[in-house]
Amino acid sequence: MNMVTFGTLSQSAAFVAGLLAMVLLLTGMMRNDLRFIEAGRRVLIGVAVFTSMAAFALAWLFMNDNFQVEYVASYSDRALPLFYKATAFWAGQKGSLLFWAWVLSLYIALVAWNTRKETRMKNTPYIYLILAGTVSFFLLLLTTISSPFALLSFTPRDGQGLNPMLQNPGMIFHPPTLFLGYIGFTIPFAYAIAALISGRLDPDWLKKTRRWNILSWIFLTIGIILGGQWAYVELGWGGFWAWDPVENASFIPWLVSTAFIHTAIIQERRNIMKVWNMSLIALTFLTCIFGTYLVRSGILQSVHDFGATGLGGYFLVFMVVVALGSIILIAESYSHLRTRHSLESLLSRESTFLFNNVILLAIAFSTLFGTVFPLISEMVTGNKLSVGEPFFNQVNTPLFLLLLLITGLCPLISWRKASPDNLKKNFMLPFGLALVGGSTLAALGIREFYPLTAFTLAIFVSATILLEFIGGARARKKLTGEGLIVAFPRVIWKLRRRYGGYIVHFGVVLMVVGITGSTAFKQEKEATLEKGQSMDIGNYQLTYNDFTTFQDRNRTVYAATLGVVKNGKPAGDVMTERRYYINADQPTTEVSLRVTPLEDLYLTMPMIGKNHEITIRAAVNPLLFWGWIGSGLMVLGAVMAIIPAGTRRRST
Amino acid sequence: MVYVRDWNQEKNNIHGGIQISMKKSSRKTVLALMFILAGVGFLIMKSISDTGVYYQTVAEVLTDASLPRQRGVRISGNVVDGTISYDQQNLLLTFAVRDMVDENKTMLVRYNGVKPDAFKEDVEVILEGRYEESANTFHAETLLAKCPSKYESEMEEEKE
Repeated sequence: MNMVTFGTLSQSAAFVAGLLAMVLLLTGMMRNDLRFIEAGRRVLIGVAVFTSMAAFALAWLFMNDNFQVEYVASYSDRALPLFYKATAFWAGQKGSLLFWAWVLSLYIALVAWNTRKETRMKNTPYIYLILAGTVSFFLLLLTTISSPFALLSFTPRDGQGLNPMLQNPGMIFHPPTLFLGYIGFTIPFAYAIAALISGRLDPDWLKKTRRWNILSWIFLTIGIILGGQWAYVELGWGGFWAWDPVENASFIPWLVSTAFIHTAIIQERRNIMKVWNMSLIALTFLTCIFGTYLVRSGILQSVHDFGATGLGGYFLVFMVVVALGSIILIAESYSHLRTRHSLESLLSRESTFLFNNVILLAIAFSTLFGTVFPLISEMVTGNKLSVGEPFFNQVNTPLFLLLLLITGLCPLISWRKASPDNLKKNFMLPFGLALVGGSTLAALGIREFYPLTAFTLAIFVSATILLEFIGGARARKKLTGEGLIVAFPRVIWKLRRRYGGYIVHFGVVLMVVGITGSTAFKQEKEATLEKGQSMDIGNYQLTYNDFTTFQDRNRTVYAATLGVVKNGKPAGDVMTERRYYINADQPTTEVSLRVTPLEDLYLTMPMIGKNHEITIRAAVNPLLFWGWIGSGLMVLGAVMAIIPAGTRRRST
Repeated sequence: MVYVRDWNQEKNNIHGGIQISMKKSSRKTVLALMFILAGVGFLIMKSISDTGVYYQTVAEVLTDASLPRQRGVRISGNVVDGTISYDQQNLLLTFAVRDMVDENKTMLVRYNGVKPDAFKEDVEVILEGRYEESANTFHAETLLAKCPSKYESEMEEEKE
């Protein structure tokens, strides 16, 4: 049997298994017969086996240059390095769909395995059923209209190759990590819906899915960061985020899930906001699907959509089913979900969580609104009025700053109801530090409103976080008699769920510093240089010294070397390139980047003239380095928060 | 210290008699939330009127006199063959762009900046800027050339 047949059969078998699991589960539920549920559970694990076989087949076809397969011919060629051949798997629409189904089925198998002793419980069959339904939907698309194993009527001698811009390590891991995040939210969604149907409305579903939520959030975060980093080092326009529809498509579920993770804490602690959390997890799942819909439907123009693929309609139907189903179920259980005690005071930690949620959702909404605005405007007024980067910046900057303020206020305000004493005592130090820091910055010449506010708030939030750490260490010192230096790491490790959260927040602070620095204080310049000429930007002087041409694997490279002088002192050479890939009809620009903690020097060479006169686009991006460090801390803190506790578990 | 106290405070208060003050404060919370939402709504509306640009075809810009000329417009069109000239020293790109449907409708474009990689003859471009009627010239602030390769929709077209 050849690999194409093997792959096709495997994914069909997976689809049939998905349907079979649904039938078995439904039968089990109707007859109240556990044996059917158990059989359904096992078949669900079988789905993962079949999708793994299909995934193996597609990878094999790529590795063996089988160009009769249309998908392989479109995204690979003989000259492509082996690593990129393997990862071309998810470069296009059809392969990424298989990747999606594969990962989802693996997640489901994991759930099915972990719950093997819980099949008796009332909600478990519903969880299985929802998961089986979701994976079957993707498998249906794969087997009917979007099979990556579809053949061409002839075998081309070579493939079309992978888009050179995708031949970059960051880009290789950007889609799969994003997918791992998107897909992960299916599990908590299934738990939530199962809880609604089976009437088990206690926070059990939240406790069981907490790790899924945070893990998915981590993947989503990494995916978005990698995307931004790729844009920065590969696209050559000097920025990392352009509010492109597809970027927004990943950002919206991130915002909603961040909101959800926060109020899930409130429900676990206080058993309030049940309706809110149910709605948020449904919204998270929905926006994840919407993200893929946006990419695959071709309704909006974007630099990296897949063009119109005919899949949009299916996703639309799926989303409508999910949305309607969730709304009906939540409405039906509304009276049970309503909580007797609600928020007690406007000045309580709970209410800061609520405000954080409202702001996060407001940002998500404005981002969504701006993304689909051209469509709405054309439908309503007939005019195509569109909004771009300036819109998103204008709306979201104040909202982000407000969010940052709340991040700082939250730990200062006590649970339930804060007293004036409590406020005065807790606020004094961070407030004072922010005031001093802010005035110092203003004295140093940073006087524009947004940057000054952002930096001042960054100081404020950092101070509150630092106080939390010191306070925790002191409390432990008092309790155990350990020295502060010993107590400090121990308390952090002991209460890692809580301090992990604070580390994430500190990561956010650093990101704000990086983003503010590199946008508000960015310097840019373009110039055409002949050999020996130089240009100035910021503290740098760049002199065009040398030009070379060479062959490298599947491309021809033109490289210019420039000498860098910083503040009058020589600071080495930088090289910037233009690459002509054999298979691409246009050249790509290779960014030259010189990173220091204080500022990045960012160079591209968009043009080379006949006599090797080069056009250089240079930018100095201050503080961006800290943004990347911050994003690393965000991931680190979140990972820390989900490391399982040892023997003694304290809920914080 | 505060940290320890917090937990205790909560334990003591779980059945505390705060029921009465509850309604008042939740009303305050709702009020605060509405205030925020109104602010967000206002922010969105204002930003749209500040930053929104009209998407138009070349023909529409040329014929529609009622168009608010002082405001930015985004147009898409095709680059006319043989009209491209680029002054690399001064980074000045000039070319003619024609309507994608009505090929007789053309105008000149001046763009100060680096020529994008994908920019060449007959390619589709998206421009943002202002139209100067007297000179039949569009002063572009941004220039995007649509990358014609490696997208699946193109593959589909080729097959047909």
